[in-house]
Amino acid sequence: MAEYTLSRRALLMLLGAGAAAPALAACGSSVGGGSGSGGEEGGPVKVGLVVPQSGVYAPLGTDMQRGWDLWLQQHGNRIGGREVTTVVADEGENPQTGVPAVQRVLQADQVDLVVGLVNSATALGAAPLMSEAKKILVVANAGAADITGKARTPYVWRTSFQNAQVAAAAGPHLAEQNIPGGVFLIASDYAAGTEVRAGFKAAYEAAGGRIAGEASPPFGTTQDYQPFLAQIRQSGAGAVFCFFAGAEAVRFVQQYAQFGLKDSVPLYGSGFLTEGGVLDAQAEAALGVRTSLFYTDQLDNPANRAFVEAYRAAYDDAVPTCYSVSTFDAAAVLDRALGAATALDGDSVSAALGGVGSIDDSPRGPWTFDGQNPLQTMYLRTVEGTPGQLVNAVTADLGQKAQV
Amino acid sequence: MTGWLAANLLSVLNGLAIGALLFVLAVGLSLVFGMMDVLNLAHGALFLVGAYVAAALVGGGASWGAFLGALGLAAVIGLLAGGGLSAMTEPLRRRSHLDQALLTLGVALIVAEVLQIVFGDDPLAVPAPPGLDGSVSLLGAAYPTYRLALIGVGAVLAVAVHVLVERTTLGALIRATVADREMVAAVGVDNRRVKIAVFAAGSMLATVAGVLGGPIYGASVGLDSTVLILALVVVVIGGLGSVRGALVGALVIGQIESLGRALLPDLASFVLFGALALVLVLRPQGLFGSRAGAAA
Amino acid sequence: MTEVSARTEEVHGAMDDPGTGSGPPPARPRWVVAVPVAAVVVVLAAVPLFLAPFATTTLTRLLVFGLLAVSLDLLVGVTGLPSLGHAAYFGAGAYAAGWVSIHLTAAIPVPLLVGAAVGGLAAAATGWVAVRSAGVYFLMLTLAIGEVLAQVAQSWDGVTGGANGLAGIPAARLGGESLTGAGFLYWYVLGVGLLAFTAVWLLARSPFGAALRGIRDNEPRMRAIGYPTTLYKYGAFVAAGTVAGAAGSLLAAQQRLVTPDDLGFTTAAIILLAVVIGGAGSLWGPVVGAAIVVLVRDALGPGLGGHGELVLGIVFVLVVYLLPRGAAGLTTLRPSRRRRT
Repeated sequence: MAEYTLSRRALLMLLGAGAAAPALAACGSSVGGGSGSGGEEGGPVKVGLVVPQSGVYAPLGTDMQRGWDLWLQQHGNRIGGREVTTVVADEGENPQTGVPAVQRVLQADQVDLVVGLVNSATALGAAPLMSEAKKILVVANAGAADITGKARTPYVWRTSFQNAQVAAAAGPHLAEQNIPGGVFLIASDYAAGTEVRAGFKAAYEAAGGRIAGEASPPFGTTQDYQPFLAQIRQSGAGAVFCFFAGAEAVRFVQQYAQFGLKDSVPLYGSGFLTEGGVLDAQAEAALGVRTSLFYTDQLDNPANRAFVEAYRAAYDDAVPTCYSVSTFDAAAVLDRALGAATALDGDSVSAALGGVGSIDDSPRGPWTFDGQNPLQTMYLRTVEGTPGQLVNAVTADLGQKAQV
Repeated sequence: MTGWLAANLLSVLNGLAIGALLFVLAVGLSLVFGMMDVLNLAHGALFLVGAYVAAALVGGGASWGAFLGALGLAAVIGLLAGGGLSAMTEPLRRRSHLDQALLTLGVALIVAEVLQIVFGDDPLAVPAPPGLDGSVSLLGAAYPTYRLALIGVGAVLAVAVHVLVERTTLGALIRATVADREMVAAVGVDNRRVKIAVFAAGSMLATVAGVLGGPIYGASVGLDSTVLILALVVVVIGGLGSVRGALVGALVIGQIESLGRALLPDLASFVLFGALALVLVLRPQGLFGSRAGAAA
Repeated sequence: MTEVSARTEEVHGAMDDPGTGSGPPPARPRWVVAVPVAAVVVVLAAVPLFLAPFATTTLTRLLVFGLLAVSLDLLVGVTGLPSLGHAAYFGAGAYAAGWVSIHLTAAIPVPLLVGAAVGGLAAAATGWVAVRSAGVYFLMLTLAIGEVLAQVAQSWDGVTGGANGLAGIPAARLGGESLTGAGFLYWYVLGVGLLAFTAVWLLARSPFGAALRGIRDNEPRMRAIGYPTTLYKYGAFVAAGTVAGAAGSLLAAQQRLVTPDDLGFTTAAIILLAVVIGGAGSLWGPVVGAAIVVLVRDALGPGLGGHGELVLGIVFVLVVYLLPRGAAGLTTLRPSRRRRT
């Protein structure tokens, strides 16, 4: 067709023009390798903070940004001696928005590092982008095993948790109690729920426990848990271990109480069940619910007391969550790594992250990297207090746990 | 075995409660579509408005005053919103359903975003009013009292809507409009006023359903689209534009969401849309459908 | 190419003009169409030389979704079948192309052909029941099919990676070289996109396309004059699914990740609205519509502090009132309303 020959000729002309007149390329060119920004020692560092500002994960995004901002505020806006510029981008709910957001900070804002990410699929989709750009991504929430497992790259580190790590911590503790009838496992029907069920089941059975039954309610579309609660009652289980987050956590905990299971079958879960804003909404239905997690604002250590106080002062008496701490700690490890690294490129920073050693002043207690994921103490937490002022009190120290 | 039977009977009962709520939600969507030929994708957002009104008024402490106040306020908001939507869709009268879908989905996105800005990102809960917040023992298991009350409310509303549409002059006008809009206009009835009335009433039922559903569903970001899809499924399974169809559709979906998930837990994620596909393959017009809506 | 929408009335001389309300177009010399088309192609081809990588990446994404919108327009605008499940075939093609790239080869054109074939097969397997319904029932039946397929993607961990998605898709390869640069990937997507667009355009101009428009405007009459209308609609459905599958393979190459969200309700709804925004039936209008939607949601959205959806909602409302014929209506510069009979 005529237009195709025309286009080819015109394209050749334009190619020539483009080569002859670099001024035309003022807004850059997408052909050929991109160049990294300056990395001289002591120079500024630009960080892309990609967290959800819209959609169902927005509350997590707020906490994550606060954790990040608080650390910078306490350290004169410098990480590893470098002046920090933070570019915030909205991760949204899923990879359709999350991956372009990472691309945006990498390519348009030319950041040196990326921090954040709640959605595991987004983190897995961002990993190859980071590898190709040879820049570091510090995942501050997304818990999929593959991120630091099967899809591991030296450029992706995680300061939060691995889904199975959190659930597995509760396994031996429940097995020790010899629960009559065993434990019923219930988790949303998607990848994270499957990892939680597998992680808990392996740890619990290895310690001699028996699984009474399993259920996986549809993810994102289940408003009513009655059919699954009936299944739990039927199974004769002596306890339940569950994984739900956000609005689903609120509905599950409330309906668990409404259907009379709360008093007869103790409810356990991964800590996200009762972490943050969902706890207020669950109100008295949450009282007595026990969860495993690497943090609670009730932890009694000097670093956490100072952190909680500063956080409440900075953010209108809001209480920090595990999401705030993961991002706060992301800044803390980057501070150590950038202080040691000679340049900002991914290889230098990755090597430096490998050598940061133990983070002793973290609000969650001391932790170290183990395979690019935290080796950290897990706590068993029990919901206590009165509605409006519920807290996750520390019930037991479940010991140092690595990813599984 | 008796335990299994009792548990499933309880699931059937629970399906009635969910079905009652779905009927209140979906009948407005069905009437607006069947009568006024407007595909209102803002219906889920209206439900969410009701849910947030309930969370704001009742969330602080459950009392009958607060709950009834929330119902009243939500009803007024629904009436006004329905009038507004009716006016907004008026210029689109002769355009395709897809244009209406574009407009109403745009409105839905804006409303949901404004709700998120006003009420924050965290999911909110709505306690049931006093006296209904406990549970009763049924077939050897505890069952929330509020859900039993919901079955009653749904039944009353179903009868009221049925009587209104089938037995009153206004109802006759509405049914005539469904059957032949041009003819009704030709005998001198102002179509637009019927449309505003039906739209306002249908939207009011959506916001009221949001308040009624509050103690079960709560109020959270994203609830609007889940509920909208459920309502569309109900309406399409039952057949568009008939009160009876909406009722049957709601009861069927209530059972599928409750008993279906109890009997087929491994296929829980598939049963809703599997059932929809099955019904439409066997009966392409829905269970009680007329030809209305067959032409987009 | 604006002729396409206005050619309705040429259907075998048997049709009057019920749909668009526009009379026959005045005869125009070929260059009136050819010159702007050539100019657009030249500008599109030259873009990576002048734009920064992120702008090129965004434009690549626009092209991918643009092609998806074109394939859907074959159903919505040409055949009159508004599908709310079209993302299923897009996603099926994307998964297939991604899987082939990971496990067999990422060498062009293997993933593209596999993606198109799987998209077409998925449409062939599900289309026969879908095309027998019409209107809102067709809308809901395709929604149900799409949601069931999305759930399959969600549950079939071993192949699809479940909710975490199919990650780690290698870059497309051409002659042993990986297309990692934003510009080269763009040219690949642009090339495939132009070819596929031309194919759909030719199909819509063919006697087959004319019959589809006849079915859209008056199916009983087409049946009465001897057309097997269900078979024609099925053909359109499979063709649209094939092109959507090809677009899906481009998504796999661009996003390097495929997740259940890519074939779910949101993608299906967004792309259907993109067709409406662009102007159903014009084929090129939906490309503009998809560009608007994806630009607002994916490119501007992340920088709007979480208010991307608010802006999208406002755009939808404004388009309905200000562009009654969609973006495609802008070229005709006539104030008449669509579908006013």
